[in-house]
Amino acid sequence: MTSASRPKFPFALLGFWLRRILPVWALIALMIFLIQIAVCGIVHDNQGIKTLLNFLDLLPSFVKTALGGEALQVGNVSALIAIGYQHPLVLLLLMLFAVGVPTSLLTGEVEKGTMELILSRSITKTQVYVCAGALTVAGMFALVMVMFFGTFTATRIYHFEEPVSLYPFFRAAINGGLLASAVGAIALLAASVFRHRSMAVGVAVAYLVVNYFVAVIAEWWPRMGFLKPATLFQYVNGPRIFREPAWPVGDMCVLAAILIGAAIAGGVIWHRRDLPL
Amino acid sequence: MNTIEVRSLTKWYGSARGVEDLTFSVEQGEIFGYLGPNGSGKTTTIRCVMGLLRPTGGESRVLGERVVPGRATQHLRIGYLPGDFRIWPGLTARRALGVLAAFGDNDTRTRVRREELAERLDLALDRRVGDLSRGNRQKVGVLYAFQHQPEVLILDEPTSGLDPLVRQIVLDLIRQAADGGATVFLSSHDLSEVSSVCVRAGILREGRLVELAPISNIVQQGERRLKVWFVEGTQVPPLPVDRLPGVRVVEQEPGALHIAYQGTADAVLKWIAQFPVDRIATPQTSLEEAFFRYYRKDACSTAEDNDNTPSGGDGS
Repeated sequence: MTSASRPKFPFALLGFWLRRILPVWALIALMIFLIQIAVCGIVHDNQGIKTLLNFLDLLPSFVKTALGGEALQVGNVSALIAIGYQHPLVLLLLMLFAVGVPTSLLTGEVEKGTMELILSRSITKTQVYVCAGALTVAGMFALVMVMFFGTFTATRIYHFEEPVSLYPFFRAAINGGLLASAVGAIALLAASVFRHRSMAVGVAVAYLVVNYFVAVIAEWWPRMGFLKPATLFQYVNGPRIFREPAWPVGDMCVLAAILIGAAIAGGVIWHRRDLPL
Repeated sequence: MNTIEVRSLTKWYGSARGVEDLTFSVEQGEIFGYLGPNGSGKTTTIRCVMGLLRPTGGESRVLGERVVPGRATQHLRIGYLPGDFRIWPGLTARRALGVLAAFGDNDTRTRVRREELAERLDLALDRRVGDLSRGNRQKVGVLYAFQHQPEVLILDEPTSGLDPLVRQIVLDLIRQAADGGATVFLSSHDLSEVSSVCVRAGILREGRLVELAPISNIVQQGERRLKVWFVEGTQVPPLPVDRLPGVRVVEQEPGALHIAYQGTADAVLKWIAQFPVDRIATPQTSLEEAFFRYYRKDACSTAEDNDNTPSGGDGS
């Protein structure tokens, strides 16, 4: 191919897809933001904390472990605010975006028959894939930044008896963004392989559910502890992020490697696959 | 100059054959008809030429550039209408066409041309695509292919679902595009439309090109027709089939005989000359009849013989 006929980067496709996912992104962002405000609203006074801890004591131990474990105590305000980062609803919302966006953009267009039209214009298959991947990863990091901004806003709205350092929350948000982006890359890989969106979503969700349960079982049953490194969730260690001042570089590298590996594998499959079949 | 060149193009879907060993080319400004029944491999050929499918073997070139699968080879200069045209149903036709145009060069000329074409096809661009009838959705597809005034038009059954009036307008658009220098690759199983706009055509059967020739040659191949009216009162004579091999009666009417023959008319005319003849006509064999010959079971062996040597000869 001559350089003269090489297609330019399709910013028009990026913009078109961005406008399509923006309403969903905005809704998820709003919910995550409000959850952070709500959590801070509960934990900013001792009475609220006691009520919350009593409630957590009623739940199975692995739930409390998943939300912060022994760090959840009166006086440890940061760990209590961080519940908003590990709450199942927040995780669900993040994963909804991570799985929904790439499968909607790639498999969704294939299934609707519009991918044939997109690819009949001056856009390469790789560019289509890069647009879907870029929107997924950028969307995920924008969501975790909204999550952090929610915490920032809440600490300005509510008065805490001790000062709350926001830096660990920023680290936790970036680490969480990497986790969600890695899930997004797995979904991108699934979207590259399957023709039907339901199949791609199903495989990505199944992968997530298996990972989550392996993480819970490995945490709850010591004999299964060896499975911990096999789950994605092992690489976002909230208590350690809040306990130690340094960035969790090792965990972040693992997540980045999964993200890059899955994205490249998906890209190769997508490029080699016959479309629109 | 050849605008589209296909050389030994082969595509297998696993163990199922898509197309096999196709070789042909389409010259600049030509309207090339690509005929074949459903499942014969027309869409597979088109998708390979568009770089949407990765061929198992062979290659194709568009505007002199080798088509690399997935690389949008020369797509800025191609107007493409897929056989199964589907577009975002939630968008208005204008918005959907604007989005697709923006994936290339959405200049003022394209927008003006879009409006002109919509008016000519009587299409309401402000309606949601999902609310349009099948015929109107197909009009959107036609607009999509023509709106940026491409140098090459690759149209997969463009008049499918259109009423006869609109069909005529679309065929006029195709002729005008070719008159303006555009090359048109027209896939269809509507034989009348191919014969009305194309000078040359290729016929596909089970993934193989069984004919590649000017339309007139395709029509004239095989059987030819004679209709003889005898002088009033003449008993129509029985045809001596045993003495006239390759001749058969198509239809017998009072005082007239419709004969089909193969080869030269010499023997038939000599036989007819024995009787008082009022007049003779040579009805045109329709493209349909010629086309069906390629798909009749008894034509299979003949077609197989032609597989590697389409009558186009030079493949152009």
